[in-house]
Amino acid sequence: MSAHGTQSPRTPVTDTPTRRRTSVRTLPVPPDSRAPWRAGSWTAIIAILVILHLFAFEATDFRPDALVTGARGMANFLAEAIPPDFSPKVITAGISGALTTLWIGLLGTTISIPFALLLAVLGARTTSPNTVVYQIARAILSFFRAVPDIVFALIFVTAVGLGPFAGVLALICHNTGVMGKLWSEAMEDVDPGPEQALRTAGANRFQIVANATVPSVLPQLTGLLLYRFDVNVRSSLVLGLVGAGGIGLLINKSIKTFQFDTMLTYLIIVLVLIIVVDLASAWIRKKLA
Amino acid sequence: MNTLTARGTTASDTTAEVLLDVHALSKRFGDRTVLRELSMRVHAGEVVAFLGANGSGKSTTLRAVNGLIEADAGDITIAGVNLNEASPQRRAEARRTAATVFQKIHLVGRRTALQNVCAGGFSRLPTWRSIPPLFGRELREEAMACLDRVGLADRAHDRAGSLSGGQQQRVAIARALCQRPRIILADEPVSALDPRAADDVMALLHTLAVEEGLGVAAVLHQPELAQRYAHRIIGLRDGALTFDAPTGEVTPEQIQALYR
Repeated sequence: MSAHGTQSPRTPVTDTPTRRRTSVRTLPVPPDSRAPWRAGSWTAIIAILVILHLFAFEATDFRPDALVTGARGMANFLAEAIPPDFSPKVITAGISGALTTLWIGLLGTTISIPFALLLAVLGARTTSPNTVVYQIARAILSFFRAVPDIVFALIFVTAVGLGPFAGVLALICHNTGVMGKLWSEAMEDVDPGPEQALRTAGANRFQIVANATVPSVLPQLTGLLLYRFDVNVRSSLVLGLVGAGGIGLLINKSIKTFQFDTMLTYLIIVLVLIIVVDLASAWIRKKLA
Repeated sequence: MNTLTARGTTASDTTAEVLLDVHALSKRFGDRTVLRELSMRVHAGEVVAFLGANGSGKSTTLRAVNGLIEADAGDITIAGVNLNEASPQRRAEARRTAATVFQKIHLVGRRTALQNVCAGGFSRLPTWRSIPPLFGRELREEAMACLDRVGLADRAHDRAGSLSGGQQQRVAIARALCQRPRIILADEPVSALDPRAADDVMALLHTLAVEEGLGVAAVLHQPELAQRYAHRIIGLRDGALTFDAPTGEVTPEQIQALYR
């Protein structure tokens, strides 16, 4: 059959015993009056995107040739970094730092659960008691989301000093904003049927949230929680760079003291940590689905 | 299959207590009138079926009774309490005596059948008891009895989502029973079910009416089910009543006219 794909459908097929029909009914396709309009709008979209990129290249000093001329510097850097320093002292320090980073990410995620849940319930249109509360909850969530975790970290470092605790506090703040927003959207998307059924049975707002909304969206909430844990472990790495402890702090130190081989060891440990967290959260999410 | 003792007694007992009295109910959505001065009654111990084409106002009537919508005009009296005259608290109490069963069942699929049934009793529970471990023995045992009443005591600890459609609707009826209702408002309770499950659910509603004196108002899309299980049939067309008669007196022509 496929051998005849290029034949005109009207051509009678006589030479193949497999094809019984001698003619195929066809119908001319009517002209699409919107086709020129569609083509025009695509051209316009592409033109706008090209112009935006020209502006962006200009604004960011995007010059690939600088990479070529600077290749020597990079080669020197890599030459110093390779081979990585696998001395037991460096590896022990790296693993202990990586674990601190993991604990910062864990606490930053779990301690923000009650705050995120409360703000999500108040900030979801379907569960919020009224528009005033809804708007206030949304505003609080937006604030925590808008301030980057690294800014929170700098603020908390001045309050509680350098170290992992500042990192945990920073992640709690930022994660409350992001996770609360994601959770409130999950709650708004849930089938309103069970909530309606409980309302007609005389259940109050809290009973409806606790027994219809939350159990219905629990798999989504858990999935989002694991996703945020994944992101927060990576964030806590960056927070270490500004003094909030963990392996990020060690990386920063090794760069400042030009110990690039030590830095590479730390980066390899970070890679392992990120892969493990990623695999673990993907595995749990799959189990939940 | 079914032991419907009262099926032979066609006319409903008009001396029985009036549990639901709807008088001159009107409702408009925008410029579309969905209910025109509709009046009807449901007595204790009878199943009343609402028949009518889509948009004829059947579901709107039930929703005005259970409070999911507010009617524009007219009186609704549930178990002797006129909703227009009652205080907000009395109104809420009266509405609680009318339990609703939905077409889409609306159970929480991830909770067990028993936990879903317990939800029917939430209005009697202090708020601090709102999570399953704190529901308390009293409510759990009452819910268990309700599950037993619908024949699903053995599935109490199964997730509601794992039950068949017919079983889920029976759990939903058990949840309605746990609300200690006098009336059950069933909004197309069997539209999502296969014929066999639909029969089971309608037989159950009929038995509850006859044996426990509940009033049942059921919106149906299958005239055969109405004729088999209802004591009285109310025909609606364009938001107005076209007939209201004991099942035996309703003619096939009257039913056909509803969908024309």
